[in-house]
Amino acid sequence: MVDAARQPLIDVMAYSDVERVDGYIGNFRAQVRRNPRYVLADRCNGCGACSRVCPIEVPNSFELDIAPRKAIDVPHGQAVPLIYQIDIDNCIKCYQCVTACGHLDAIDFSQKAEVVDLDIGAIVVATGFDSFDATKIPEFGYSRYPNVITAMEMERLANSAGPTIGHLVRPSDGKFPHSLAIIQCVGSRDKRFNEYCSGFCCMYSIKNALYLKQAHPEMDICIFYMDIRTPAKGYEEFYNRARQMGIRFIQGRPSQVTEDPVTHNLFVEVEDQALGQVIEMEAEMVCLAAAAIPRGDSEQVASMLTLSRSPSGFYMEYHPKLRPVDSPTDGIFLAGAIQGPKDIPASVAQGSAAASRAARVLSKDTWEIEPIVARVDAERCISAQGKKCGICARACPYGAITVEQGYAAVVTPAKCHGCGGCVAECPQDAIRQDHFTDAQVVAQLAVLLKDSPQEKILAFMCHWCSYGGADNAGTSHFEYPASSRGVRVMCSARMDQDFILDAFRRGAGMVLVSGCHPQDCHYITGQQVAARRFERIPRTLERMGINPERFRVEWISAAEGDKYARVITEMDAKLKSMDRGQIIAETARALPEINNRLKRWRSVPYMADLLTEPELEAVR
Amino acid sequence: MPVDDKLRVGVYICSCGANIGSVIDPAAVAEYASHLPDVVLARDYMYMCGDPGQNLIRKDIRQYKLNRVVVAACSVRMHEPTFRACVADAGLNPFLMEMANIREQDTWVHSKDPEGALLKAKELVAAAVAKVRHVFPLTTITVAVTKKAMVIGGGVAGISAALDLADMGIPTYLVEKELSIGGTMAQLNKTFPTMDCSI
Repeated sequence: MVDAARQPLIDVMAYSDVERVDGYIGNFRAQVRRNPRYVLADRCNGCGACSRVCPIEVPNSFELDIAPRKAIDVPHGQAVPLIYQIDIDNCIKCYQCVTACGHLDAIDFSQKAEVVDLDIGAIVVATGFDSFDATKIPEFGYSRYPNVITAMEMERLANSAGPTIGHLVRPSDGKFPHSLAIIQCVGSRDKRFNEYCSGFCCMYSIKNALYLKQAHPEMDICIFYMDIRTPAKGYEEFYNRARQMGIRFIQGRPSQVTEDPVTHNLFVEVEDQALGQVIEMEAEMVCLAAAAIPRGDSEQVASMLTLSRSPSGFYMEYHPKLRPVDSPTDGIFLAGAIQGPKDIPASVAQGSAAASRAARVLSKDTWEIEPIVARVDAERCISAQGKKCGICARACPYGAITVEQGYAAVVTPAKCHGCGGCVAECPQDAIRQDHFTDAQVVAQLAVLLKDSPQEKILAFMCHWCSYGGADNAGTSHFEYPASSRGVRVMCSARMDQDFILDAFRRGAGMVLVSGCHPQDCHYITGQQVAARRFERIPRTLERMGINPERFRVEWISAAEGDKYARVITEMDAKLKSMDRGQIIAETARALPEINNRLKRWRSVPYMADLLTEPELEAVR
Repeated sequence: MPVDDKLRVGVYICSCGANIGSVIDPAAVAEYASHLPDVVLARDYMYMCGDPGQNLIRKDIRQYKLNRVVVAACSVRMHEPTFRACVADAGLNPFLMEMANIREQDTWVHSKDPEGALLKAKELVAAAVAKVRHVFPLTTITVAVTKKAMVIGGGVAGISAALDLADMGIPTYLVEKELSIGGTMAQLNKTFPTMDCSI
């Protein structure tokens, strides 16, 4: 902490919120709000005279509200930066602090929040974790029984810099607990809450037990566990030391904790797996190893930075094995427990790894961006003909397109992220996306639906999520029928309604459009643009005489291989239950109207040849 | 735009050891691909991503004047950068290479239906050939880099990232929501496995 404050190239901006981030790799702009402390940073010398005279006490969240702080205070003695702050909501404005501060004159009640713009080339996200709310498991009695505490509360109560100067006491009577029961996996490895293992709880519980046992050899300490997980270097030896020192380990998940209302002692009921019978242990204190969970603001931060979250809610890495600290957004990196529960050594290592990945960008003068951007065909753009349009600009999540009536729309390539939403939305087919042009996509459809199209599922996939989900089905070896044929585009927003109609025109048995879940979209609102478009399609198909059950929309994350396999399996079963002749008849019925709708497409470069496939004759 | 005077497509089917080769016959896919439009050669090989596999592509591009390449192997999320760099080494624009995913999205999920997997592999290769016949060279966009970093979150991971960045000479903003940096770590008593204090 102190090193960071002392390093001249680090600007520590504490008590600040990142409100907005725009831009792209190498060129981000962040809007950061510095919240007012009502104490001037350049004048406060951290002497604490103000705090000593302040008559108001308020809860201190750093001490988990176990101990108070003053209305003007620092969260703890070693705070960095050591600048006092006034809790303005609770301050009674007696101004005794102003007097105590005297000639330093550091207190300024008129201070306002200050919003600053930072230009940066790369971002490391290390926002950490929250602890599971143990009141969600009422059978353990947390918050109902005073002597049931959480592991974080134990950290403060056993800490010589904490509210009790390191003397562990029972909240009910202030006395030392002679016996302690520690319950593992509170909120983790519990399908009611979180399936995952929180990773480091075994080690911190053993650490707490060992620490207390060293200080109080007579103390009876018992850890109730499902499995002890100590895989990192030196951890198993640490666990063995705890056993040798007489800490008891009982395998079993406690079913409930009850309290003697007079003594406030607790009774832990558990089925001891070794004995195969239910036992009860009386303890003067119970400590719950609450799981690490994603931070409460992780969804909001994810949408600000266009990051994706795993089903567990922790941020997703670009690739779990090969790019574990890269986020899916170029130039943004992940470090620490926000990517998944982690202990200190792993968090430090990941912080260094993220720094090194960021430096890979920041050590260069220039960075190369994939040129798969949108380009406007000025001759087709109706804005250039003086008409009012602007649909493309409204579809763009990045503000990369400007439209002025009388001129063709203009795309700023460095701002374009290449989702293709504008391309699919343009009613004039006046925009193309390089490397994902209409012709490049339709050329694939033509081939994939050349033979026995009625037996096939044409699956449009977005690069980031559903294609990743299909890959995940592969790496997990989830078998599904071989009737699907995938076509990849960057975002579901690129999936033009005309692609879907063309697939049906070519006789596809089933069409799947798949993309990210709304909160995971790599292109902020691309998925939403797509979802609105796809809502209309079943009715359009029905009107044309095509059974809308042959069309399906699914949002599949890169982690949901099981879902991808299930969707294809279900669609395959549905397709097999349908009459092949009926599908051919539906295609023939819809053909004239689809052809009519796709007429405009013929004037798009290279499309005319693709639309007059001779194979279609057979269907007619 | 897409069509050079004469398209010359090379197709490479990867066996990926047994990952692909134990479910379908890569040679059969190559044979099928050799009859696709504009395909001048189609080969199968044990590991396309290895140096000998990549060298094979580079050599063929020069020798047979290939101007389009299709690699049927694993996911684009895995090896597209590899093969783009490979064709670029041989002087081909990297966007003139396409991949067909016949591992994650074929043999790994249809191992119990080898016939279906083979048909799917052939059609995915045909689709990649169809696309590559319509692609055109693209020039990478170059942007300037602002040589500053922002770390969001001043816990142990964020502090460690900020210190390393700054030690490498990169000015770094360390933005923390709370009044002090230190995060959860600063609240801890002793830490495992060394039993020293946290701050």
